[in-house]
Amino acid sequence: MANTTTAGKPIKCRAAVARAAAAPLVIEEIVVDPPKSGELRIKIICTSLCHSDVTFLNLNVPTASFPRIFGHEAVGVVESVGEGVTEVVEGDTVIPIFMSDCAECRDCKSKKSNLCTKYPFKIDPWMHDGSSRFRDLNGETIHHFMFVSSFSEYTVVHLANVIKVDPTIPPNRACLLSCGVSTGVGAAWKSASVEKGSTVAIFGLGSIGLAVAEGARLCGAARIIGVDVNPEKFEPSKKFGVTDFIDSTSCGDKSVSQMINEMTDGGADYCFECVGRSSLVEEAYACCRQGWGKTIMLGVDRPDAMLQFRSVELLVNGKTISGSLFGGLKPKSDIPILVKKYMDKELELDKFVTHEVGFEEINKAFDLLHQGKSLRCVIWMDK
Amino acid sequence: MNNRKSVEALRLMANNNTSTAGKAITCRAGAPLVIEEVVVDPPKSGELRIKIICTSLCHSDLTFFNLVVPPACFPRILGHEAVGMVESVGDGVIEVVEGDMVIPVFMSDCGECRDCKSKKSNLCTEFPFRVDPWMHDGTSRFRDLNGQTIHHFMFVSSFTEYTVVHRANVIKLNPAIPPSRACLLACGVSTGVGAAWRSASVERGSTVAIFGLGSIGLAVAEGARLCGAARIIGIDVNPNKFALSKKFGVTDFIDSTSCTEKSVSQMVNELTDGGADYCFECVGRASLVEEAYACCRKGWGKTIVVGVDRPGSLLKFASTEVLHSGKIILGSLFGGLKPKLDIPILVNKYMDKELELDKFVTHEVGFEEINKAFDLLHQGKSLRCVIWMDR
Repeated sequence: MANTTTAGKPIKCRAAVARAAAAPLVIEEIVVDPPKSGELRIKIICTSLCHSDVTFLNLNVPTASFPRIFGHEAVGVVESVGEGVTEVVEGDTVIPIFMSDCAECRDCKSKKSNLCTKYPFKIDPWMHDGSSRFRDLNGETIHHFMFVSSFSEYTVVHLANVIKVDPTIPPNRACLLSCGVSTGVGAAWKSASVEKGSTVAIFGLGSIGLAVAEGARLCGAARIIGVDVNPEKFEPSKKFGVTDFIDSTSCGDKSVSQMINEMTDGGADYCFECVGRSSLVEEAYACCRQGWGKTIMLGVDRPDAMLQFRSVELLVNGKTISGSLFGGLKPKSDIPILVKKYMDKELELDKFVTHEVGFEEINKAFDLLHQGKSLRCVIWMDK
Repeated sequence: MNNRKSVEALRLMANNNTSTAGKAITCRAGAPLVIEEVVVDPPKSGELRIKIICTSLCHSDLTFFNLVVPPACFPRILGHEAVGMVESVGDGVIEVVEGDMVIPVFMSDCGECRDCKSKKSNLCTEFPFRVDPWMHDGTSRFRDLNGQTIHHFMFVSSFTEYTVVHRANVIKLNPAIPPSRACLLACGVSTGVGAAWRSASVERGSTVAIFGLGSIGLAVAEGARLCGAARIIGIDVNPNKFALSKKFGVTDFIDSTSCTEKSVSQMVNELTDGGADYCFECVGRASLVEEAYACCRKGWGKTIVVGVDRPGSLLKFASTEVLHSGKIILGSLFGGLKPKLDIPILVNKYMDKELELDKFVTHEVGFEEINKAFDLLHQGKSLRCVIWMDR
C-alpha cells in the first residue's frame, strides 16, 4: 500500500487496547487520525515492553485513563507528516521517545539539561495539545501514553518526541533505545560521567541496572558491583559487565553499604539506585566514596516517598546526590550516538533481548516480565 | 556570661626548643574568658610552634564558647582563624623554617593520602576533620601553671601567643600579605569563596542565591562575584544587612520575614524565571536547605550546603522531585578548598586586587580586649573582628 493513499486520512489498524486496570490487552481495530501540525504518523515495526507500561496498566485508581494504548519503546517508519514538519519525511526510520526535545526552549538549548520546558515530562493521556488521535470503532476516544503509544500498528507523535535514526540498525535493537537501555547507559555515561578505572555499585539488576552496567563498562569502569535480592541474576549479569555480586538477602550482620565500603576500601565512586526505594537510595549514599562519590537515583518510587539525609554528614562528606531521568540523555543528540556505538560494536544490545513474539501474543510479553523471566521482549507488529 | 575579668598577665618568657610560657585565653566551663599564663610545649615530630600575630573570631569559636556539654571540653584554648610566624619546628619538618609566615588551618592536608592526592577531594583521610580537643597524636601541648592539661581546638587553638600545630595544618604564605587580611583565609572567607569557586564552580553570567548573609554568606557572594556571576540574590531575616551586602556583590535582596503570601523559594523562582543556577545555604537549618533546593534551577541547578546544623538534623527531599528535577545536592566543607594548593592562590588573588578582603574586617582589638570581639559577634555587630596579639 503506497503511503500516498493514506496520508491525510484516518487509518484503520490493529492496536492492543487496555480497557481496564490489570486486564489483558485486547487486540482490536482502531482508527488513527492523521497527524496535526508539528506531528507525524508512524508505522510501528516493533516495540518492546518496559516496566513502566506494566505499572500504569495495573494502576487501579479513579484517575486512571482507560481505554488506553500503552507502549513507549519502539521503532517505526514515518507514514506521513503534519504541517510544518520538515526534519523527517515519509519513509524515514524513527524512534519515538517519551522525553520531549523541542530544541528551542532554554533546557533543550543547554548542554546541561534534558528536561524540555516546552513539553515537560509527564505521564499524559493525550498529545501535547490535549487531544487524542485514537478512537475505537464506536468512536470512543482512546488515550495516549507517554506521548508515544506504541502498542499499535500506527501511532501519532509530536516532532519533539521523534528521533530519526540510521535505517540499518536492526529494528529489534533500535526499539530498546527508546527507554530502558538508553536510561541506564545514559545514567552512567551522561548523568554520572563514569570515569575509566573507577568503581561502580548498582542497586537492582533489572533491565535498568544492567543497562547501567553496560554503560559503565563502555565508560571503562574497572569494577562494577551488582546488588540484588535474587542471586539467580548474578550469573547472567556478568555479560553486562558486573564483576562483583552482593546478594542483599544474605548479608547477615552487615548492611549492604558496609559490605561495599569494605570491598572498595571506602566506597564506590558512583552508586546507582535502580529499584525505586528510598531506603536503597540512602544505602547507596552510605557506600559512596567520600570526597567525590556520586549517588544517582534512577528508580521510580511511590509518589509520596521521601529521601532523608543527615545534614551534618552531608556537609562533611563531599558526596553528591542527583536523579537521572532518561539517563540525562538529550534525545536528538544522544540517541544517534548510541545507534552509532551499537553499529560500531561498542554498545552491546543483543543481550537485552531475551524473547520475541508477534503482536497477537503481546500479553505473553506481560506474563514473562511479570514472572521475572525476561529482560526485553520484542513485539513484532508484522508477525 | 556576666563577669569578665582579665587576670594580670605575667611576663612572657621564650626560649627555643623549650616550653614557652605565654599568655593565652583559656575557656573554662561556664566561666568568663580569662587571660592567663600557660605553658606551651615544644613541637613534636611533624609539628611546629607558631607565634601568633593576629587571630579573628569565627562563629564556630562562639558556638563552642557557649556550649557547656560535650563535645565541649574544658579548659580549652579556642580560636582557629589566625596568622603567625614559625618559632621552631619539630623533627622532620623541612617545608617551613623559623621565621616563615604561616596560616594554621583546621582542615588537614597531609599531601599523601588518596584524598589529598586527588584533585577532587579536600577531605584528608590521614587526619580527618573533627572538632578535636587534641593534637593528632591524642595529646596536648598546653598546660596551665598548675600543670593541668588545656585542650586544643580544631587542631589550631589560636587564642594564644604561641600554639603548636601539625605540618598538615599549616600553609606557608607570601609574607607581603597584611596579617589582618591573612588570618581571614584560615576559615570563614575561604570557606565562602571556596564554596562558590571550588565546590559549585560558579560560571560566568550565572545566577546565585545565598541564604544567610553572615560572614560566610557574604564570602560566598564575594566568591560568586569573582567567578563572574551576573546576579547574586541575598536572603536574610535582617533587612539591615542589605545595604552592606551590596559591596560584597549582592544584587538583589529578599527579606525573608516579609514574604507573607509567597515562600522565599517562590519569590526566587519568580525573580529568576525558574530558579537560580546555584543556591547556597549559609545558616545551618534543614528547612532552609530544602527552601534552597526548591528554588534551584531544574536541569542543572546545584544546591550547596555550607551552614553547620545541629547534630541529628535531617534533610528531606521528595524522591519524585529528586528524580525529575535534575538538580544536584552537595555539602561544602572549607569551601571544597585543598588548603596547601588553594590558600596561596587566594593570597595571590588578594595581592592582585581581585579578591577583596578589607571589607570583611569590621573591628580590630588588642588581645586583652578579646571579650569585646565575642560581644560584637554575639550582638550581630561585626563580620570579622581581628585580635592583635601584640597590642
